[in-house]
Amino acid sequence: MSKPVTIIMIEDDEGHARLIERNIRRSGVNNEIVPFTNGTAALDYLFGSNGIGHLHKDRPLLILLDLNLPDMSGIDILRRVKENDHLKCSPVVVLTTTDDAHEIKRCYELGCNVYITKPVNYESFANAIRQLGLFFSVIQVPQAVA
Amino acid sequence: MTPNRGRWLQVALLSAAFVVLVAISLASIYWLNRARDDAAWVAHTLEVENNISLALLQIRRAESAERGYLLTEKNEFLDEFELAASTILPQLRTLQQQTKDNAEQQRALTEIFTLAQSRLDQFRQVLELGKERKVNQAAEMLRVNAGRETMNRIRELALEMRRIEQRLFRERTIAAERSQSLAAAVTTSGAWLVVILATISIALLRRSAKARDEAEAKLLDANLNLESIVTERTADLREANEEIQRFAYIVSHDLRSPLVNIMGFTSELEELRHDIFRRIETLSRDPATAPMPETADSDSDPQLSDTDQKLSQDFSEALGFIKSSIGKMDRLITAILALNREGRREFRPVRIDTRELIEGIVSTVAHQAAEANAQIRVEPLPEIVSDRLALEQIFSNLIDNALKYLKAGVPGDIAIRGREKLGFAIFEIQDNGRGIDPKDHQRIFELFRRAGPQDRPGQGIGLAHVRALVRRLGGTMSVASTLGSGSTFTITLPTKWLATSRDTAA
Repeated sequence: MSKPVTIIMIEDDEGHARLIERNIRRSGVNNEIVPFTNGTAALDYLFGSNGIGHLHKDRPLLILLDLNLPDMSGIDILRRVKENDHLKCSPVVVLTTTDDAHEIKRCYELGCNVYITKPVNYESFANAIRQLGLFFSVIQVPQAVA
Repeated sequence: MTPNRGRWLQVALLSAAFVVLVAISLASIYWLNRARDDAAWVAHTLEVENNISLALLQIRRAESAERGYLLTEKNEFLDEFELAASTILPQLRTLQQQTKDNAEQQRALTEIFTLAQSRLDQFRQVLELGKERKVNQAAEMLRVNAGRETMNRIRELALEMRRIEQRLFRERTIAAERSQSLAAAVTTSGAWLVVILATISIALLRRSAKARDEAEAKLLDANLNLESIVTERTADLREANEEIQRFAYIVSHDLRSPLVNIMGFTSELEELRHDIFRRIETLSRDPATAPMPETADSDSDPQLSDTDQKLSQDFSEALGFIKSSIGKMDRLITAILALNREGRREFRPVRIDTRELIEGIVSTVAHQAAEANAQIRVEPLPEIVSDRLALEQIFSNLIDNALKYLKAGVPGDIAIRGREKLGFAIFEIQDNGRGIDPKDHQRIFELFRRAGPQDRPGQGIGLAHVRALVRRLGGTMSVASTLGSGSTFTITLPTKWLATSRDTAA
């Protein structure tokens, strides 16, 4: 049996983080969620102090990423994750307010797996997150490559 | 020196030169005339002198002829005498004529004249005596020597006359010389004056030409400067514009984030409200008579007392207002973002048959037009080079508006006209709708502003968007309308819009 997927949530807005978490839980997903409110802390966690990223070699990860972070652009994190041998297979879900076509295209080019624009309408937002939760419950995530 | 003063100085100098030239010419003419007169007088004097000599000579000739005859009695001498005698008097008369201006000479001449006449009479008496062979008598007459005195007197007088004439000759020669040298002096000095004036004029001209060249160079400099300033300002403006675009983008994005929270937690509150009032219901109920009813129908509305019901309603109302306001704010932010995205879109100029384009738009709104009982007339329109999507948005917004704000109960009539003028295409979209109050003519072009009764859906974005597009395309737009009698929107676009002309329009 493979290990349960850990959800890394990189979201600077704590309100958003809370709403996302709640709605994921409502969809019945009980996986561990590790929240980060800035890019530096998230990178430290993902890549470790030496920046190699083999800390999580035996754990399947799923990254929930906001693009507008206070200390860096989410795109930088996306690039580093997809360039890293240990992490590049982990699915990255970009969940952000940016709906600029350029940004969306760029994210997919860099290897993002899903790009979702946060709807302001709460019904849609909650719906989207719940469906994302359902998606998480069925998605197969490989273990990070050793 | 101010240019005006320089010009006046030049004119004054030229006029002075002209006056001097005229004066010199007149003086020269005068002095030359004087010199010629003086020369004539000199000649006159010589002639008079000559005539005096001639007259004397003739008298002597007559005398010698008379003597010759007396000695030889040859008739040639008689003839000789007659010839000489006949010229004497006319000669004297000519002299009299010539010396009319001189009283002294006249007096002398009159005397000479009488003397000569008496001498001639004596000659004739002697000759008569000679003819009658009274030689002795004739010789006697000669011997009396009366003739000699007369002759001496004549000679004296003639000498006197010649002396006078010689004096006159000297005087007149001096006068003539003076006139000539004066004439020459006047001409020379005049020539010098003219040369000096000309030199000054040329110097002045050169100076003013130099000043003009300098001014021209300055103007050129200023022009170049102006151009660079314009380029600089345009770059500044473009930068400012881009900054505003970025600003709008960032602000609207960052506004959206908290909005998600507000909306989300409001919804969470709504959920909570349900739970809270259920708990209130449970608590307010007599615990003895109601054993845990919430497990039976947890989804149904809780049964509340009147006061609690009121509270619940207030709660719902507050949440409702919050949610509707958030919805409105979200729509506004979405609109700003959409406008912003439009503002950043690159335009691609292509040749467009505007009539075809507008007919395409008209066919998409045919259903609305039929519902509104309106007809749309598209008249021949010019072809222009512009951005197709922008034009589509401009015209569909205006046609939409025309259909949207028709007058109730009046069949709509919308006309789209166009013409070309001086490199610009002018389009008019005219309707017979409800019209716009003149005080609102500016307002309707502002973002989120609307005019008239708010009975139609809309957010006050259309016209702001249209005007922004028209401006970006290097054009202008205006409205002419009075309340209740339709509106005419006029759009002026360059017939040939090039991507570079965005710089000036931006």
